[in-house]
Amino acid sequence: MKKFFVVFLALFALFLSACIFDSEETVMTDWLSDQGIPSGYQVQTLSIGDLTPLSSEVFLDSAPKLANDRVVLGKTANVSHDLVFDVAFYDSVFFADIKKTDSVETFLALHILKPFYLSKQFPADSLPLKEDVKLNISWKLEKGSSKSFVDSVWEIKTDTWLSDLNKWKADSSADTTVTIAVSAKDTVLKIGLPAELLAAMKALSKACRLQLRVSAPEASRAYRFYGVETASYPKIWASFTKDKSFVEFNPFRTAHIVSNEESCTDCLVLHGGIYDSLVVEYESAPIMKALSDFYGDEFPYTEGNGDDVRQTVILAQMTYARDDSQGSGELGLPIQVVVGSYTDSAGSSVRQMEAYKLNKSLIASKGHPNMVFYDGDSLTLQVTYGLRDFINRARDGRTFKMMMRLGYPVLQPKDSSYSDHVTSKKDTSYVFFSHFDHARYDFSSAMKQPSTLKLWLANKRGDK
Amino acid sequence: MKKVILVLFAFAVSGFASVIGLDALGEEQVAGGMASTAGRGYAGGAKTGDAEGLSVLNPARNAFDTKVVFNVNFLIEMVSLENHGDNFGLNNITMPSFNLSFPMGGFGAMGLSLWQSYASNLNEEVSEGKNSVETTIEYQSSVYEIVPSYTFRLPVIRNFSVGASAHVVMGNSMRKVSMGPNTEGLSSEDTWAVSKTEISDYVDGTWEIKNHPAYYTAALQYRGRQSSFYFSYTTPHTLLNELDYNFRMSELDTLAPTKKSREIDVPAMLAAGMNFRFMKRNNVMFDIATRGWDKDIENIGGSFNMETVTETQKDMLLALGFQRDGSPMFYDPYLDRITYRLGGWYKTWYVKNVYELGGSLGAGFPLGRKGTTLDLSFQGGKRFADSGRGWDEIFLGFRIGLMGVGNWGQTR
Repeated sequence: MKKFFVVFLALFALFLSACIFDSEETVMTDWLSDQGIPSGYQVQTLSIGDLTPLSSEVFLDSAPKLANDRVVLGKTANVSHDLVFDVAFYDSVFFADIKKTDSVETFLALHILKPFYLSKQFPADSLPLKEDVKLNISWKLEKGSSKSFVDSVWEIKTDTWLSDLNKWKADSSADTTVTIAVSAKDTVLKIGLPAELLAAMKALSKACRLQLRVSAPEASRAYRFYGVETASYPKIWASFTKDKSFVEFNPFRTAHIVSNEESCTDCLVLHGGIYDSLVVEYESAPIMKALSDFYGDEFPYTEGNGDDVRQTVILAQMTYARDDSQGSGELGLPIQVVVGSYTDSAGSSVRQMEAYKLNKSLIASKGHPNMVFYDGDSLTLQVTYGLRDFINRARDGRTFKMMMRLGYPVLQPKDSSYSDHVTSKKDTSYVFFSHFDHARYDFSSAMKQPSTLKLWLANKRGDK
Repeated sequence: MKKVILVLFAFAVSGFASVIGLDALGEEQVAGGMASTAGRGYAGGAKTGDAEGLSVLNPARNAFDTKVVFNVNFLIEMVSLENHGDNFGLNNITMPSFNLSFPMGGFGAMGLSLWQSYASNLNEEVSEGKNSVETTIEYQSSVYEIVPSYTFRLPVIRNFSVGASAHVVMGNSMRKVSMGPNTEGLSSEDTWAVSKTEISDYVDGTWEIKNHPAYYTAALQYRGRQSSFYFSYTTPHTLLNELDYNFRMSELDTLAPTKKSREIDVPAMLAAGMNFRFMKRNNVMFDIATRGWDKDIENIGGSFNMETVTETQKDMLLALGFQRDGSPMFYDPYLDRITYRLGGWYKTWYVKNVYELGGSLGAGFPLGRKGTTLDLSFQGGKRFADSGRGWDEIFLGFRIGLMGVGNWGQTR
């Protein structure tokens, strides 16, 4: 009875609350307004012109990279592309056979990446391609005596292997010339391996590890092939002409090694398809002065610990002058420029890739503003994270630093989805071409001309 | 009892009651917010007896206790904010205090309280028009105090007792205002950049006392045959609120916070009370407590057009109450065993130009034969906010207190 009484009282209180105290949102809005809380944060734009970089520098990451899907061999856009194959096998019968047979030949077979060459995006008048290419083949051959030797090779971590390739010292090398032909009919590039390598293998009896490096520094272009993790993987053949039998060994991993052969060391050249970046740094003063003029407050902020939360950057765009004659590409498609900024993370500067917010009406009428090799004479890049962090922490005198690199070719420059998607007809609409363009773009003149920074700022200052 | 708890939690989903002083300290829980005291209009600090429990304003009262007393209190408060004929309602549940007192015979008595002395709590979402972005405002601040106390009766003049307590302050504070963009000042070409961007102006921090572990209360109690009095003095102190101010785009995308601290000089408090017993079990009582606030309080807010300071005034409570004690004889009729309470109070808040007038009804229902009591009180009144931005508040409070009395640690 007592419990019932208590429950009754509580419910009665709730009933009173519901009856007496109605709650209308418009009234709450009035209350918020009376307390000085707006219904939306104030947004203002600020354009800061005539910005020139404090420094700008290109960085080409020439460290060996794993390339098990698609591989590139040759030279294009002043970058040469080498391949290193890693293969290990235990086959005492094979070694016995090649010892007693004179009529054995060895080859490396690379399957041409035909989806790239036969795609409608690849310039049709370029095919067929045919070129006699001088190759340099170098190798390292290790002797083994058991299956466990092969296992031990497989257990070498890929990172370790790639790192060791930086100190590549071949046992031997040889030059050869092959004819590379690319057409609708051609499917394989067959590279005869040097006799010295075969001779070295004849000295073995049970197992071996072969690291084979192929370079084509004088090729007129870079050729694309399938990698080891595809159905058309590269193969190393030993063909016995006497009885037409053959033995095939498959590399289990491939490394891609690039080297920069640009002659202009001061040029700010970015290359597509490789880990190449342009890092641009701006001094703090012009941006702080513009903010100070705009708000009438002191910048950088000095109160408390100095981290500035009086306003925040909702969006930031940097616009550069653009001259596409300073670049060249294989495909003739626009190429997106990917952007990152350097932001603070627990006291360390880290590179953070920027998000890209879509200005749909602009994209529909003029295309994405962040592309090169396209109509127009400007390049606009969003650097929101970077500017947000920079203004927040500018008290320590830091600079604003951003990075750009060439991304994927764009198939639909006026598609505002900016990602491959399924259409209402259940077709896939591809916005990007799935192969990189090994393009070359020189940003030297763009960086010498003044750029404009536009900020959308959310402000929590009150009315003055 | 499970049903009661379920109902209490059902109330707990809503925001808090008073929104006066949200940016300063919030609402004060007068006299520890005890249901029994609230039932008689916050009067009765001088009333002694095992059924009274611990008083945070009068640590000397428990020297006359003979039994261990455990007391826990809940408050359900509903407030209607009014301005120009418009009003909207808020409600909430909170636990203002938890008290334990332990008499030790000739060695005096010890006590321990957990007291939510000031709190602000609000969580509301507002959406204006069909297409507008929602604005959310959230306040969560609690100045909690752990209050150990000790009291004893004077050796010769046994009608007098002295007591002291230390108030160890802790707690945290948070204010978050989330909103979408106001694009009125933008050209149509620039609005795309701020679509679907909600930001939060976020502040959070902790409470403590500056340069000292606690502040203190000392009290003197007199217990006569019919009349009882007390007087207490609470030391001034400075509350330190260490705060991180931030802008949040999301939980993970935040700026490095600006660290600031605000210091609130809380003046000394003087409190006094008397209780007069007549016709065996009837009591009238009067209490007064005052703090002479003389400095503005720096607000937690300050963003947008929010006030940066809260102006203060002398904080004073005048309380008048009546209580008819229930019969301690378990064989008496149940209605005669119930304690009945009635009271009223007038209070000036620490916030300038805010006055409160309230009345209350209460009862203590004995549970079983050993002195355990369920205290209920209803309160109602109005807070008049005559400042420019304040809204008047009509409030209705429902308090539940559970008072357990036992003989732990005592021999017959």
